[in-house]
Amino acid sequence: MRYLTIALSKGRLADLSIELLEKLGIDCSEYRNASRKLIFTDETNKIKFFLVKPADVPTYVEYGAADMGVVGKDTLLEEGRHLYEVLNLGFAACRMVVAGPAELAGRMDSLNNKRVATKYPRIAREYFEHNRRESIEVIKLNGSVELAPLVGLSEVIVDIVESGRTLKENGLVVLDTIADISARVVVNRVSMKMESERINKLIDGLRKLL
Amino acid sequence: MSKWNIYTPDGVQDILCEDCFTKKEMEHKLRILFRSYGFSELETPAIEFYDVFASEGSAMLQENMFKFFDQQGRILVLRPDITVPVARITATKFRDRAYPLRFSYIGNVYRYNDFGGGKQNEFTQAGIEVLGVNTPESDAEVIAIAIQSLKACGPESFQIDIGQVEFFNGLMEETGLSEEDISKVRMLIDRKDLVGLEEFLKRSEIREDLKELISGLPGFFGSSDVLDKARAFELNKRSRDALENISQVLCILEDYGLGQYISVDLGMLRGLAYDTGIIFRGFTYGVGFPVLTGGRYDKLVGEFGAECPATGFSLGVNMVLMALQRQKVELGKPGTDTFVCYAESGRRAAFELCSVLRKQGLAVELDISNRTADEAAAYAAEKKIGGVIRILDEDNVEIHYIQSGETTSVKISELVKR
Repeated sequence: MRYLTIALSKGRLADLSIELLEKLGIDCSEYRNASRKLIFTDETNKIKFFLVKPADVPTYVEYGAADMGVVGKDTLLEEGRHLYEVLNLGFAACRMVVAGPAELAGRMDSLNNKRVATKYPRIAREYFEHNRRESIEVIKLNGSVELAPLVGLSEVIVDIVESGRTLKENGLVVLDTIADISARVVVNRVSMKMESERINKLIDGLRKLL
Repeated sequence: MSKWNIYTPDGVQDILCEDCFTKKEMEHKLRILFRSYGFSELETPAIEFYDVFASEGSAMLQENMFKFFDQQGRILVLRPDITVPVARITATKFRDRAYPLRFSYIGNVYRYNDFGGGKQNEFTQAGIEVLGVNTPESDAEVIAIAIQSLKACGPESFQIDIGQVEFFNGLMEETGLSEEDISKVRMLIDRKDLVGLEEFLKRSEIREDLKELISGLPGFFGSSDVLDKARAFELNKRSRDALENISQVLCILEDYGLGQYISVDLGMLRGLAYDTGIIFRGFTYGVGFPVLTGGRYDKLVGEFGAECPATGFSLGVNMVLMALQRQKVELGKPGTDTFVCYAESGRRAAFELCSVLRKQGLAVELDISNRTADEAAAYAAEKKIGGVIRILDEDNVEIHYIQSGETTSVKISELVKR
């Protein structure tokens, strides 16, 4: 039997995913033992899994280097890969929003040239160009995106919001919600067909746990 | 001196020696196969007018095409596919011929950001097109040839998934959704985006039974049982006809004895925008992308001025090659059989001997560097050449077998006879 390979997003998502996998009876002791290994194996179920940066999970799965993966919807939207997205795990829930100073609420159209600061240039572009049919200037940042409108780097931002506290403390408000974000199970398009029995069994198992 | 002179651009690659040998062997096998089914091979230009691919039916994204201008300022592209040029040729140069037309091709296509050969921008497609007929028999034959093509290439196992876009189109007719919503649903189903699909359906006003069917569609793949699963719903004629069409094609493929390679996927939709009926994709282990895609495109030829139903497929040669390598399939290797060196007095005899051996089908390399016996043996060993023949004079020859290390002396006349 071939190994089924699963790519997990490093960090909190990985811990939550591992918990689920263990509940399905998959042996994750190699991971628990905190060794320096990069790939963990469950020999009885013939399952391998590895941890990579969240943004890389879709890439591994698209190319078939991993048959399945667990990754946030934000990453999926940003990477725009050809994958099957088959299950919403529900955890790590938050929202992708457009935010800006309160005076822009309901008047975003009034801005002629919109500069949008974001860690997610593709999502920002997709939202403004396709949903709102507007041209924008994307300013790619790598963190503390809320700062940009405060110092005049941009008019609005596109970012992830969990509680909204950071926004509030910086005098920003949500202008529009782009998408609801949470952890998703993705599957390679070929693996879904060539290994459909094992993959579907895993997905059904996960679904029952939710 | 340009600083880029030692690099190749993104997305293209050199294909060297053994890889090239395997690729050409594969193309040769496919060419022979296509001929054996009565197909005529075509070559279309690598450069075409942009307009050829900009037609509504082709729906090749303009940002995926390599574009430049001719001297009159018209937009040219490197062909992103060969099916569309074949449609152009059929409409303009093969009107009023006896149908079906059977065309095959093997050639390179060019796309930005595509994953044709594992994200290559230049890759080789081998394919066939059957034009002028829209019977289930024609769909089945094209699928049968697709299967035979993969068999000829030799991956350890593969599978062909069959879908029918009209089934989905029939469903959408019933829902009364707008074009924009339909294309959204199409994308959600093709990506098996169960989550997104559910969210979409929750917000839209569609008959409840249709909602149930549409939300289940991404899971409608596997054996032909899914057809019965779909039939359990109340469908319009368009959808029912589509299911019937798949059944007929499956039935014919059973008679071909190829049923074991086939599975059904009613949720397979995207393919190319010019799909109009049966569509299919081929998969194997080792590459995460379909290695073969095909289907019916009855409207495309009409865009060039002559209505003509058509179906066909193309196989990604580079991608199959990659799959074979990943699966560690034993591939034939190129090789030279004999290395011939000579003393000056034996030169004429050496040339004659070489041409005799070559006529017998051996690959013979002639020494052009005046190597000594030892040097020749070392060179042959390094290049994995089977043996060295040294021509000592007009009559006498020494044969050195690299593997065994044995050396024998014979007369040329004897050697030629053998």
